[in-house]
Amino acid sequence: MKTPRKLLLAQHRAATPKLDAIRQSTVAAVCDRRSEGVFGVVLRSQTAATMLLQTFWHELILPTRRIWAGFATVWALIFIVNFAQRDNVNNVTGQPVHSSGPVMSLQAQQRWMNELFADRVLPPDADRHRNFTPKPRTQAASAATV
Amino acid sequence: MKMPEVAAPEQLPVPQARAGEPAAWDALFRRYQLPLYVYVFELIRHEQAALDLVQETFIAASKHLGSLRQDGKFGGWLFGIAHQKCLQHWRKRTEVLFDEVPEPLDEFEDAPDDLLIRREQEAEFMTLLNQLPLPHRSVLLLHFIEDFSLEEISRITETQLGTVKSRLHYAKKSLRKFLEVKNENPA
Repeated sequence: MKTPRKLLLAQHRAATPKLDAIRQSTVAAVCDRRSEGVFGVVLRSQTAATMLLQTFWHELILPTRRIWAGFATVWALIFIVNFAQRDNVNNVTGQPVHSSGPVMSLQAQQRWMNELFADRVLPPDADRHRNFTPKPRTQAASAATV
Repeated sequence: MKMPEVAAPEQLPVPQARAGEPAAWDALFRRYQLPLYVYVFELIRHEQAALDLVQETFIAASKHLGSLRQDGKFGGWLFGIAHQKCLQHWRKRTEVLFDEVPEPLDEFEDAPDDLLIRREQEAEFMTLLNQLPLPHRSVLLLHFIEDFSLEEISRITETQLGTVKSRLHYAKKSLRKFLEVKNENPA
């Protein structure tokens, strides 16, 4: 006489070698995971970054790839035109444009103007320096009534 | 690490396994590999698929041991994973399972060892077991193999306690009837 448990286990005891193999492979996998340790954390974070990039690519870029391609073409054209125009400016003057050039010419103009108007008498009002300090409107009104 | 065939919950090296000790995992898997295989095989009736599901159960257990709250419930938790794997297997095969058989019943207090099977009845017992509807077979196997309580079977199969009671009663009644008939009229 057997209990149902004993009978059931006895019926399937032949599978034990296969189950042993499965157990050993699973335990080996557990050991591998354990030895993964710190490197595993780094690997997981790298995987997360890759996943994020992939999601970005699949969700944002791929569905509207024609629009992005159009934008890219326009940007490339703008860059090319801009670059070409800069080359033209350099070719016209024959030398690079320095920022001190306009300043010097302005100073020369100012000197010339000073010399031109040096002997001219200015009207007296122009000489008087006006000190005007704004006041609040209420004070301004009371001053007007007094 | 050697373990008896039916280890008490406090003897299970679950904390050591949680700490990642390979010997503890080996002991746990060794303890449950055959009962788990019997349960899965008797449900799905396919050797290679049963072996695959046992392996998947072990892998899932090693990954998710952190979700086990009570170490003493390791056995039920492991069988719960296996049960879910069986359900997934059936869903893939689009089989209809676990249909309700309304069976209303009285208290059920029998121990699994109350039922004893003679040598000449063994083959017929296995045949009859396989003829039981899947939900009843599942409950009966959990009761026989690991002597799980009704509450534990309810948790493993994610079924209401009343349903588990009625299924177990129905299944045991069928088996008893068969054994009594055989005892009265031995071939």
